[in-house]
Parts: sequence; structure tokens; C-alpha cells
Amino acid sequence: MNRTWWAIVIVAALLAPAARAGTIAIAGGVFGGMSFPVLQDDQSQGPIFGARIPVRLAALLAVEPFYSTSALGDKTIETSPGFSVTRSGSDVTTYGVNALLPFGTKTLLYPFGGIGSARFQRDGADESFTSYDLGLGLGLTLIPKLMLDVRGELQMASSGETSRKMFNVTLGATYSIFNTP
Amino acid sequence: MNGFRRVLPLLALAALAAAGCMLTSGQFAVTYGLPDPITVNSSLVETFDVDLNTVSEYNDHKDQIKRVEDMALVGQFTNNGASEAQIEVWLVRDPSAIGPPQQNGTRLWGPLTLAGHASEKVDWDRSAALFDGRQALIDEVKGDGNFRLYIVTTGLVSVTVTKGSLIVVVGAAV
Repeated sequence: MNRTWWAIVIVAALLAPAARAGTIAIAGGVFGGMSFPVLQDDQSQGPIFGARIPVRLAALLAVEPFYSTSALGDKTIETSPGFSVTRSGSDVTTYGVNALLPFGTKTLLYPFGGIGSARFQRDGADESFTSYDLGLGLGLTLIPKLMLDVRGELQMASSGETSRKMFNVTLGATYSIFNTP
Repeated sequence: MNGFRRVLPLLALAALAAAGCMLTSGQFAVTYGLPDPITVNSSLVETFDVDLNTVSEYNDHKDQIKRVEDMALVGQFTNNGASEAQIEVWLVRDPSAIGPPQQNGTRLWGPLTLAGHASEKVDWDRSAALFDGRQALIDEVKGDGNFRLYIVTTGLVSVTVTKGSLIVVVGAAV
């Protein structure tokens, strides 16, 4: 949690000089897709949805507060012949901030990385972790102010010594809300 | 800003390197089959030894276990008597200790309440919510993987557990 707040403070510090330089562009976006657990025996893939607010600080850099929620799928295992048990997948709520390095103009390719907080909830379990993500996005401007983007990212919710990892694939739409002159 | 743009990927790589085993870890389900059936009569205690070393998923990762992520005791629980039964599972760290497990141990799981002549399939979700002695089991799983469990019932009842298994999900490096 503390790391997340530090990240937000750093983003705010980055925003201030960019605002003075008159280079800020703010957009709002929504996205949806699938979240695939990596090396997790106790849950399977499920849908993910969320929203983000990309803030373009310069041609070279954007930051993006985001929020997402995913419902990982159930896992069933056969514990003895003819006897199976099921564990519900976790509901994962993540918020944080990404830093993006966009290349291009109308078609954008952007590696990104971020930090946040992820809360995993299911029967008998409710835990929060520091969440890191790293990924690659491709954005296509279809009409002025509206961009479609496809992203793949590895999310890593860390307990310190181990982590729960998910590979998230999302499709999103981003609308440009505000540009400084 | 150009400098920042160059530095950011390096910072990301440094963070990944620092993450080390966090990146190369996973959650692995270790399923240990209990004796089948187990019958506990009228407030007596039934014991059974668990040796996780006989499970390949545990053996493959036992030296790299960092966390116990989830636990469950599943099976078909049947109350053979007419009165309501409460079932608990206790863990005693020192099996040579004299006295009932309630004096020397930690309640690991329960109570599960069964009406007279009722039978219930205790699934993974239901069972995970009944675990309340997580730390005691975590210590055993991260230790030698050998421990003794005690099934305790209350009242003048007879309870049978069939197809019972202990499920432990460990977080370990790969």
C-alpha cells in the first residue's frame, strides 16, 4: 500500500512541470479481456474489466492511473477416485498507476510498467498484495479522439517471497477528454 | 524527459531482477489422501499421521516453500447417530504429549456441525472457511512435512469420514 502511494506522489510530481509546460493530454478509457493465472493450481482463467485515465505528459511519456476487477475461474480437482472438490477463483481488485513509453502517432506501440495494490478475495481468504505489472500495448486511432488498444501484460501480486502471477490480455477504448493548448 | 525515458526501462529490468524468486514462483496443490474410512465414536479421538513427503508435489518443492496459500480438509462426513455432532481437527506438535489434544494442541479446523443421520460433502470452499489454526499447519508444512492430526467429536455420536483428503496449496519457487 505504501509503495502505491509513493508511486502516486511521484506521478503527481511529474505532472506539475508538464502542466506548466502546457503539454498535458488527458483521456479516459475502459477495457475488458481475460486474465490467465500463471503456475497457480488453485484457480483458472476468468474475465477482467477496468478503467484507466491516461495522462500524456509529453510525446515521450504518459502515466495512467487504473482500476481493474477480475473474477478468476474455479478449479476442480479429483482428490480420490470419483470424488472431486472445487475451489472458487479469487475476485481480484487492483488499482495503481502505470508509466507508458509511447512510440508513434496514430498507431502507438507502448511498453509499460506499473505498481499498485491487488486484493484477492474468496471463501476463507482475503489478502492484499503489492502488485506489479509489465506489458506491451498497441493503440490504433480509428477516429479523432478515439483510440482502440490491445494489451498484454504480466501482473505479479507479490507477498514478498512469492507472487501470484496473471497474464492479462485486454481490448480497450480510450477517448481523449482534454488537451492543453 | 528523454533521460527519464531511457532510464525507465532500465528501472523496470532492475525491478524484475530484484524480484528474483517472486517471478519464478508458483502455487502448487498438495493433496494427501486420508485413511478411508475414518470412524470416530462417542467423544473418542481418532488420530492419523500425515506424511506429505509421500506426495510428489510436496517433494518437488519442499525446499523452496515460502508460503502456505490455502488449506482444506475435504471429504464425505456422515453422522451415524441421531444426535447433532460437532467435528473438529486438532494438531499436536509433540505426539508424545500426555493428555487430550485440546490441552496440548491447536485446533486446526472446525467445528463442522452435522445434524443426526446427516451426511455432507465438505467441499474445498466450505472447508477452507473452517480453517482457524493456519499458523500451526504452516509451521508443519514448512518443517519436515510429518505431523499427527486428531479428529475430535462432541457428544454421544458416531461420525464417519470417507474419501477424506488434506489439501495444502504451497507458494514455492520453481
